[in-house]
Amino acid sequence: MKSVPEKTANTKKEDRKTSIMQTALKLFSTEGFYTTTMPAIAQKLGMSVGNFYNYFSSKDQLAKELMLYISTVLGDKLREINMTDVSVKEKITMIVHMYFSIARERPELIEYFLRVFLSNREIFTKECTGMVCVSGFVTELMLFFDDGVQRGELKNQDFFSALGLFMGYLGGMVFLNGEEVLPHPLSEYETAIAENIYNALRKQ
Amino acid sequence: MKPRLKLLWLQGVTCNGNTHSFLNYPHLSYILETFEFLYHPLLPSTYTLEEISTCAHECDILVFEGAYDPRMERVGTSLERVVHHYGNHARYIIAAGSCASFGGMFKHSDPEHITGLGFDEKEPKGPFVKNSKLINLSGCPIHPEWMGYTLRMIADNKPISIDELHRPKELYSYLAHHGCTRNEYFEWKVDSDHFGTKEGCLFYKQGCRGPMTHASCNKILWNDVSSKTRAGSPCFGCTEPDFPRTNMFETKTNMSIPQDVPVGISKRSYLTMAGIAKSFHIPRLEKRLIDDNT
Amino acid sequence: MITRKWIERIEGEASVQFTFEHNKVSFATIAFPHFRGMEAILHARPAMDALVITPRVCGICGHSHLFAAVRAIESVYANSGFPLEISPKAEALRELTLSLELIQNHFKWLYLVIYPELSHLVQCPIADSFRLKGAYAASLATKVLAIFAGQWPHSSYMIPGGVTCDPTYVDTVRAMGLLDELIRWFEKELTGISLEEYLHLSSTKALSRLSGDMGDLDKMLRAANMHKQGFSYDRYCVLGEHGFSKPSKNINKRTTKVNAKQVTLENPYTVDEKTYAKNALYQNNPFETGPLARAIINGIPLIKHLHRSFRDSTYSRIMARSYEIALLLNHCKILLQSIRLDEPSFIEPHKKITSLSGEGVGIVEAPRGPLMHKVTLNKGIIDHYALITPTQWNLASGSPQTPGPAQKAMIGADSIEIATFTFRAFDVCSVCTTH
Repeated sequence: MKSVPEKTANTKKEDRKTSIMQTALKLFSTEGFYTTTMPAIAQKLGMSVGNFYNYFSSKDQLAKELMLYISTVLGDKLREINMTDVSVKEKITMIVHMYFSIARERPELIEYFLRVFLSNREIFTKECTGMVCVSGFVTELMLFFDDGVQRGELKNQDFFSALGLFMGYLGGMVFLNGEEVLPHPLSEYETAIAENIYNALRKQ
Repeated sequence: MKPRLKLLWLQGVTCNGNTHSFLNYPHLSYILETFEFLYHPLLPSTYTLEEISTCAHECDILVFEGAYDPRMERVGTSLERVVHHYGNHARYIIAAGSCASFGGMFKHSDPEHITGLGFDEKEPKGPFVKNSKLINLSGCPIHPEWMGYTLRMIADNKPISIDELHRPKELYSYLAHHGCTRNEYFEWKVDSDHFGTKEGCLFYKQGCRGPMTHASCNKILWNDVSSKTRAGSPCFGCTEPDFPRTNMFETKTNMSIPQDVPVGISKRSYLTMAGIAKSFHIPRLEKRLIDDNT
Repeated sequence: MITRKWIERIEGEASVQFTFEHNKVSFATIAFPHFRGMEAILHARPAMDALVITPRVCGICGHSHLFAAVRAIESVYANSGFPLEISPKAEALRELTLSLELIQNHFKWLYLVIYPELSHLVQCPIADSFRLKGAYAASLATKVLAIFAGQWPHSSYMIPGGVTCDPTYVDTVRAMGLLDELIRWFEKELTGISLEEYLHLSSTKALSRLSGDMGDLDKMLRAANMHKQGFSYDRYCVLGEHGFSKPSKNINKRTTKVNAKQVTLENPYTVDEKTYAKNALYQNNPFETGPLARAIINGIPLIKHLHRSFRDSTYSRIMARSYEIALLLNHCKILLQSIRLDEPSFIEPHKKITSLSGEGVGIVEAPRGPLMHKVTLNKGIIDHYALITPTQWNLASGSPQTPGPAQKAMIGADSIEIATFTFRAFDVCSVCTTH
């Protein structure tokens, strides 16, 4: 049996970075972005503040990397769905399910996007303009829409009209769920929502 | 003096655009010194078309302009018969222009019967299908320098390497995009708001096929001076088998996403790169190049 | 006795059947056997595609088709209550490049068709290299054209609302340099006198004294008696409006207004032969179109003088076309100087073409005469497209009672060779005729 090679210093640093981000995400989404300080995150992780700054030189940089991280996580999931050989209608069901599962299992990812990224644009103007930090996810959505139109299942319309309808709807439901307004668990809404989205986007 | 190579220029279903484009070739005296035109629609020729149509002669090089319709007659003789006779004896068969190469514009006159010499759009079909003598010089019209290159290579006994569509690689490995003066606008995704400006890229809205079209139009300029994109017109992809497409002044998009992306680049890579590039506002690229003339 | 002859090298071929009586041509029919169905190819396509497709009607005058197509679409806009604004710059560029196409065409016709045929007639052979002069001059003209239009043949740079190009003064200066070179070449090779002096000539005697190729042309045409034959109706029609032409007709030396609505088509007359060309008529009468018509209607002094002595003979026809080269070179020079680059190249139409419905007509003067495009759009899609080309006027094949202009001009010729030369003097475009 071959011995498993020891992790390199770089991988170790990356792993540590990921665990910092997960902790930071939780704090930001529960305590709020401005009230959570860098030392507070370090403390939660049991790290010295000095060491913490070796990983992220500023709070803005951390904020940006978090968005990139979320976009990649969501983008990877969406990519898997895009590569599946099923109808556009089924893909919509899969995307809704994927999004709500993440909202349930890792609510901090969605919370961060909704409550931090979209609500505090001033933090992100410098390095996260336009698509820079959400490219992983948005690119996959573009590919999904493009494929849907090429297959003749979706109506050809402006990208943002479709994007807003799709993601605004999902984000809104997660928001309502977070506010505990919904009488039922999110999963129970999946079928109806997928159908609504499909009906709204499909070619008449 | 070496005997001149016998060149025969025949026409099928055509507009004569390739004949006229070739007349712009700056070295026509070399051509006349090196080749004996058995027949050409305008240049001095040994025979009339009627004499050629008796099939009593042979040529080294057959140049064919226009789409091929086996039912067509010219000066009362079956085109099929004449083309087969001269093509079978020739050492090289040159399809001059997109009609002769792939059917092109005039394939649309009668899509069922009309083809190019060896291709029906991109499917192998026609009187010289899979014939190794066939060289396709697609383009609507042919670029005179491309024809000049091919003839001179033949005259000098040099090999011409061709791609899977029988086009010389040295001419068609380039894209019309290469050398376009709007390249920087493409890189940074700055589109041309409307026609009539030297700024902006025509790929996003105006239908430009430059990054999807194999042609050296922006390397070997037209009439020695310009090209479509330099004059603010989109490339219509006239060297490709699917020319003419429909709605040629508009980019085909699906939910604002271009349906076709540059040759050989996955759409995922393209969209990732494009999305990021589009995020930056670069004032130098967003304003007029020269302020005085606006 | 009926003799059939294929006339080649006229942008395709025509079949002419000559009837001889007393060793002279007494009648001739003209058939154009090739047909491509351009109008059908255009059907159901978006309107803008006409700007790519119609130039492909013809390899030698595709730019004229482009101009006619753009005028036709702009006329649909105007007829729907949304007239487009075209900047003077865009108008000047369109007219400049059109004029350059005419120049290119005339040079080729002169050196690649007229000189070789004429030298054969008068048995005075010319060298192959002499013919290349036509290609050289034509390529210089199209080089200037391509600076603005991107390429020739088959540019699509004119669009409803203007032109696609946005030239700088670097481009216009370069164009002026090339145009000057072409003018100097013209002076040296064709006239032996300056363009300005040539444009001021007013007598046929002065033409005979020219030293260049124009002098030889004059001598050869006279030697072949071309000033005494090839007479047609002496009735002219111009329909395209440009700086170098005004829409009018001329009958019995009187120039009067025209209305393009009076243009009609009639079925051709041939015997046991298929032709795809319909005859174009004005108020049901044949009219001659092209450079001679433009010169007569414009009252160009030299051509008027020539016409007084030799009417609409083959000599007059050929001289008028050759002289038009000089007129157009001068016109181009003035246009180039006049262009103001601070004006917009393109003014976006307020109405989207995809919501445009209605009919429109675009008319330009092509090398051989008026070119008409008629289009019907339904929400920006081409419902119907019709072309009427200059050769349909000049080379109409009418009945013995109303022969077309070229048919009439051939009557009385001593031989097929003479008749064929008379035919070619009209500058025939086979591909345009049948389209």
